[in-house]
Amino acid sequence: MTESTIFLLTFILYIISAFFYLAFLFSKKPDRAKIGSVIAIVGLVLHTAALIVRTVESGHAPFTNMYESLSFLAWASVLAFIIIDKKFGVPKIGPYLMLIAIGLVALASSPLMPKDVTPLVPALQSYWLWLHVSVTLLGEAFFAVAFITSLMYLTAKEPEKRDRMDSVSYRCVAVGFPLFTLGGLVFGMVWAYKAWGTYWSWDPKEVWSFITWVVFALYLHTRIVMGWKGKRSAIIAIIGFLAALFTYFGVNYLLSGLHSYV
Amino acid sequence: MKRIIKFFTSIKLAIVLLIILAAASILGTLIPQGRSLEEYAARYGTLSTLFIRLQLTGLYHSIWYLALLGLFALNIIVCTLERLSPKWRRATKPHLVVDPKSLLALRANVRLKRNAPPADVQSEVTTLLAKARYKVRTERHGPRIALLARKRIGGIFGSDVVHLGLLIILAGGILSGVTSIRANIDLSEGDVKPVPKADFEVRLDKFTTEYYPDGSVKAWKSDLTVLEKKSPILSKTIAVNHPLTYKGYSFYQTSYGWNWDSPSVEIWAKSKSDPAFLKKMTLKVGERALLEDKAQTTIAVKGFFPDFVLGESKQPENRSDQPNNPAAVIEGFRGGEKIFYAYIFANPEFRDFAQMHAANEKDKGAETDLAFELKKFEAGQYSVLEAAKDPGANLIWIGCALLMLGLGLAFYWPTWEIKAVLEESQGKTELIAGGIAAKSREAFGAEFEKIASALRRSK
Repeated sequence: MTESTIFLLTFILYIISAFFYLAFLFSKKPDRAKIGSVIAIVGLVLHTAALIVRTVESGHAPFTNMYESLSFLAWASVLAFIIIDKKFGVPKIGPYLMLIAIGLVALASSPLMPKDVTPLVPALQSYWLWLHVSVTLLGEAFFAVAFITSLMYLTAKEPEKRDRMDSVSYRCVAVGFPLFTLGGLVFGMVWAYKAWGTYWSWDPKEVWSFITWVVFALYLHTRIVMGWKGKRSAIIAIIGFLAALFTYFGVNYLLSGLHSYV
Repeated sequence: MKRIIKFFTSIKLAIVLLIILAAASILGTLIPQGRSLEEYAARYGTLSTLFIRLQLTGLYHSIWYLALLGLFALNIIVCTLERLSPKWRRATKPHLVVDPKSLLALRANVRLKRNAPPADVQSEVTTLLAKARYKVRTERHGPRIALLARKRIGGIFGSDVVHLGLLIILAGGILSGVTSIRANIDLSEGDVKPVPKADFEVRLDKFTTEYYPDGSVKAWKSDLTVLEKKSPILSKTIAVNHPLTYKGYSFYQTSYGWNWDSPSVEIWAKSKSDPAFLKKMTLKVGERALLEDKAQTTIAVKGFFPDFVLGESKQPENRSDQPNNPAAVIEGFRGGEKIFYAYIFANPEFRDFAQMHAANEKDKGAETDLAFELKKFEAGQYSVLEAAKDPGANLIWIGCALLMLGLGLAFYWPTWEIKAVLEESQGKTELIAGGIAAKSREAFGAEFEKIASALRRSK
């Protein structure tokens, strides 16, 4: 099977999974969420296969252009959701997260994103490409889950569900923040030093990574030191994810700089 | 003084600083940094002078941004130190709880009575806790035995290690800003050039560009040799992502360029009246060659444009150093007299633009029998290296390692504490215990329950 066929099957499985999760959301029958989860996992396995095929065909890491990195972000988001769901049992995130994954895959598949395998420009020929991008996007995937749980906190009415969403948001940030720091900032600095001879250039992507990091630092300090919880924490987590999204996506299209590969 | 200290130690200052820092950083991505005065004038009009005066055009190196970072560092130092000493005391000289009432107020707690003397229960509890990897301390207070068991105490220092890491990163940044040396070195093959502020030289032995089958660049490679007192010390092929490091200096492949002063061009000449005539010549700029046509024309290459374009006054100009539209200027002579000149293009689409111009009125028509094509051109490439010495970088890596270690401690090395009081009453021993976990409360609750039920079971 070619990469595009596997990718299409993944897309279909994510849609079916979202369908079951939505059925669970409206019917409250837990077995529908279970089916949704199993299908999401099968989809994730196929998605992994698509990424592997892409890697073998192109001979480089599967995140060197917008199509590849959107696909990888979708993969990371589904993975983050499955981990969080296994650990904390929050199938209610399912419908929203699967919709986001579908959106990312659809965007990746859209004609706006060139899908050709292009040879790697000299600056990207480094194993740091693997470390820097994969760890950063995995961190951002956990921020995406925190974003959903924070939105669910703000819209939920029952106090029990609100508490649960608040705590899961924090857990996601607790995973996402170290990953983002390691992949985005630390690995980014090491690679920049190896490739450009300077670990920090105040390039817009670097600055926005720093801004994202500051927002989540605010989340942690207001929460742990000042005891903020609930609504205010949720709002900061939402702003943090939007900053991460802008770092990932907006900077490429709206600001120019050194990071003009993806 | 106290109020000033209080201001600096407040977490509120930290929050405000983080918000201002984020806002200022955003501003710096909205205003392009480090551009020319003309560009700012065109973009912002009269506002541009204000922006420049406020250092918004070099925001991240402005006095006020650096002051903000300095204030931030000060806040981190003061906040961390203030919280460090109680934590240090807690880790090294912990206070053991003697009053059992406060233990029962904890979320995880247990109260049980055993038919054994306190010393036996104490050793049993200690063994159980040690098995679960707790470090146990005990103190006797009259009839009571106070017990404190802890594991992963390092976790409470996670945030301090993060802060220390950040301070070292900031210090590294300052050190880089003050002491780093950076210079571009242009080298053609065979060139030897001194490294700025160093006692050695570098020589470019070879520069190659490798291409993918689709024509895009795969790699730029420079074979470099380090020379000390004219004798070679070491050689390495550097490429993007693969610098050479010697005596604290690193050499990065950053760019390349062409030596356009004397490229060699291959020109084909044809004659319209004599289809059999074809003359191929490879000439450098400034050189001339006999055409050996019927009219005995001599051709000279007058100049070369890598990126030919007609300027505003219809004069030929060079748009860039990239060979986007290579063109050669040639001149034709007969009997020592200039008869014509022509611009000829390498780009096949522009071949037809090659027009012959008569040098003067009386020779008009004499040139029209000849046609020229620019078949090939070759210019030497030079390699552009960046030589950099940045003593601050090492501090950055130490800071990064501490940052990650601290985050690991803070999030994944949860400190758990179990406190217990043992008291003898009527030949029996009463045990009251409670536990606290700042993080991973659920896992801690489960572990606490496991230990408590083991105590309940044993007789």
